Amino acid sequence: MTQAVKSVCIVGGGSAGWLTAGLIAARHRGAPGGEHCLSITLVESVERGAIGVGEGTWPTMRQTLRKIGISETDFIRACHASFKQGAKFVGWRTGDPDDFYYHPLVLPEGFPDLDLAPHWHDSGTSSFSDTVCFQEFLCENGLAPKLITSPEYGGIANYAYHLDAGQLGKLLRDHCVGKLGVRHLDDEIVRVEQADNGDVTAVVGLRRGPIKADLFIDCSGFSSLLLGQTLGVPFVDCSDVLFIDRALAVQVPYDGPDSPIVSHTVSTAQKHGWIWDIGLQSRRGVGYVWSSRHAGADRVADELAAYVGPAFADLNPREIAIRSGHRACFWKNNVVAVGLAAGFLEPLEASALVLVELSADYIATAMPATRHAMDIVARRFNAMTRYRWDRIIEFLKLHYMLSEREDTAFWRDNRDPDTIPQNLCDQLELWRHHPPGEHDFASANEMFPAASYQYVLYGMGFRTEPLRRPTADERHAAQDAFARTTATKRKLAAMPTNRALLDKLAQYRFQPI
Amino acid sequence: MKLVQLSRTEHGHLRINPALALSVAANVHLVPLTLSEIRTVASQFPVFLAKDGETGQFYPCALMGLEPHENLYWTGSALDADHIPLNLLRLPFFIGGADPAQAAICLDEHSPGVDANGPCAILEPDGSDTGYITTIHGILDRLAAGKAPTRGFVDRVVGLGLARETKLDVRFDNGTGAVLNGLYAIDETALGRQVAAVTDFDDVMVLAAMALSLAHVGGLVRRKNRRIEADAQWLGAAA
Repeated sequence: MTQAVKSVCIVGGGSAGWLTAGLIAARHRGAPGGEHCLSITLVESVERGAIGVGEGTWPTMRQTLRKIGISETDFIRACHASFKQGAKFVGWRTGDPDDFYYHPLVLPEGFPDLDLAPHWHDSGTSSFSDTVCFQEFLCENGLAPKLITSPEYGGIANYAYHLDAGQLGKLLRDHCVGKLGVRHLDDEIVRVEQADNGDVTAVVGLRRGPIKADLFIDCSGFSSLLLGQTLGVPFVDCSDVLFIDRALAVQVPYDGPDSPIVSHTVSTAQKHGWIWDIGLQSRRGVGYVWSSRHAGADRVADELAAYVGPAFADLNPREIAIRSGHRACFWKNNVVAVGLAAGFLEPLEASALVLVELSADYIATAMPATRHAMDIVARRFNAMTRYRWDRIIEFLKLHYMLSEREDTAFWRDNRDPDTIPQNLCDQLELWRHHPPGEHDFASANEMFPAASYQYVLYGMGFRTEPLRRPTADERHAAQDAFARTTATKRKLAAMPTNRALLDKLAQYRFQPI
Repeated sequence: MKLVQLSRTEHGHLRINPALALSVAANVHLVPLTLSEIRTVASQFPVFLAKDGETGQFYPCALMGLEPHENLYWTGSALDADHIPLNLLRLPFFIGGADPAQAAICLDEHSPGVDANGPCAILEPDGSDTGYITTIHGILDRLAAGKAPTRGFVDRVVGLGLARETKLDVRFDNGTGAVLNGLYAIDETALGRQVAAVTDFDDVMVLAAMALSLAHVGGLVRRKNRRIEADAQWLGAAA
């Protein structure tokens, strides 16, 4: 058990495999021959290909790509990426034509030192997100979060990306193999060899035979080859909370080269689920995720066709089965799962890639030096990762349970108290009199800040009735903050459009500083 | 501004007043430089890298004011400097077209330098080029030929991580101050670490000149103090 960990084998390519390879290799490539120098191998069946879901990221992707050593300009060009400044939820509350709210990526003005939640009703106008934050203004006007003079990965407003996940895998693969010394094997895994204690000793490739390693990272997708199939870690189904289990996806071309590129994800509620709409440089990615317990594929296709418009007739929708849930643990013996092999949830808050980034970053940072240390790291990783999954599940459920829609069983069933996690019920009880604050989210491993809960709660019409009236000083501070937000919007009106900046980036590069 | 391609038939009769042409510099605080003049210009002005607002790309420039649209070297009728950057000397003429090999000379017909009483003619009475326009040709050729080397220099500086964003935060005698962002200075510590990677000796000299030129910021502050004082006296007299 004191045997040193000197080799890592990642099973499966795709975004999860290559992001993991990149983060570990960038941190551990060190001086060759050093005592703790790691050899990193990624084996994938190139033929099998990746699933390619999850075209929206979190802002964390900027830091991730920087760590891996990829320039932002190269990334945006290669992945047809565009800037994402949050999500617009349309029709979630009532389904009325003017029903929408934003979950932007910029915190409310002054947050967390200043909490505007008790004051925004008094400001008289507009929505919570538009009152406390300038980013909705940028989104509604199709403006970019940065300028061509902004440095790489730096912006004026916080931002993430919409990207072509297939291209991301290729970019990362070329970088990992060419620059970071990752060994890439194209092979079909036919068998897994184990030691008496259950540790995986080798994955056996059809052409190359046994590929040995000290640590195996399972990025094999839904099949969960090592963690699920080989080590028998059960799947924890969460379809009792989140009903979505199907997706119907299409790629929609733009009308022309000058069509605006929307700078946020649009999530539009439908009768039996919701439609994502993601603007890349080259096309839109649109898909309907729904609950097959509530509707059949044909009814959903009609709704999707109505959303896309006449262009739908020429498109080839692809149906994908989704299994909502995660493994009971994520690191067992010398196998840790990252990506779909660990679990999957509907893409409502783009949680797939960020979980890959966080998991891979932890593995890279806490890389156990010995097999003995691995069990300690595994225990911590499991506790942390389980906490993250639970928080994501609760946050996703929050979007549904606050809806006032009565039109279908899908929306009514989502409000059934039996489908709502107890911890979320507890939080809501407290939030009736205290806005979500940092005190509600005390872990170092929180996924969503209190501000995100505020955006969704108040966007969905939730009312917090504070126990006390704000003081005059607090009211003045809030008025000043609202004025600052208004002034910032005025200042940012001259930002380029998302399309204009991306067009410019085809010709010029962001500078590193 | 109205840029038109210079032609002997259309413009041969015009006269130019270079001093008046230079008056547009009154509103300019950053003047782009070409690589071959940086060492000379840096003996007089602080030289930084700044980003072009349209393209985001770095260019070397001389700093002449402490806020946008301010030129502290402009006296009202002339630029009070021993070395005037080529991009000011060429006025009111410009290089047209993106390709230096195909560069056409353009004239700003709306420039105050186009002046019937100006001291410089474009053509001699016999139709040949005047010494003045020959000089302008030389300046524009130098600017066109300097584009690629300047680009290469900037790429090497940024690639080696030798530039650092520098916020100028200065105070004046009357208690006011100014903050100027968007300037990138040579980072002497980074240069010291990377000096072995700077293989071209000319680069070393240019980088050293840029680093040393930061001392001229003090001169800008002195000029600003004098201007504030003069304004105050004028306002006092008016009152």
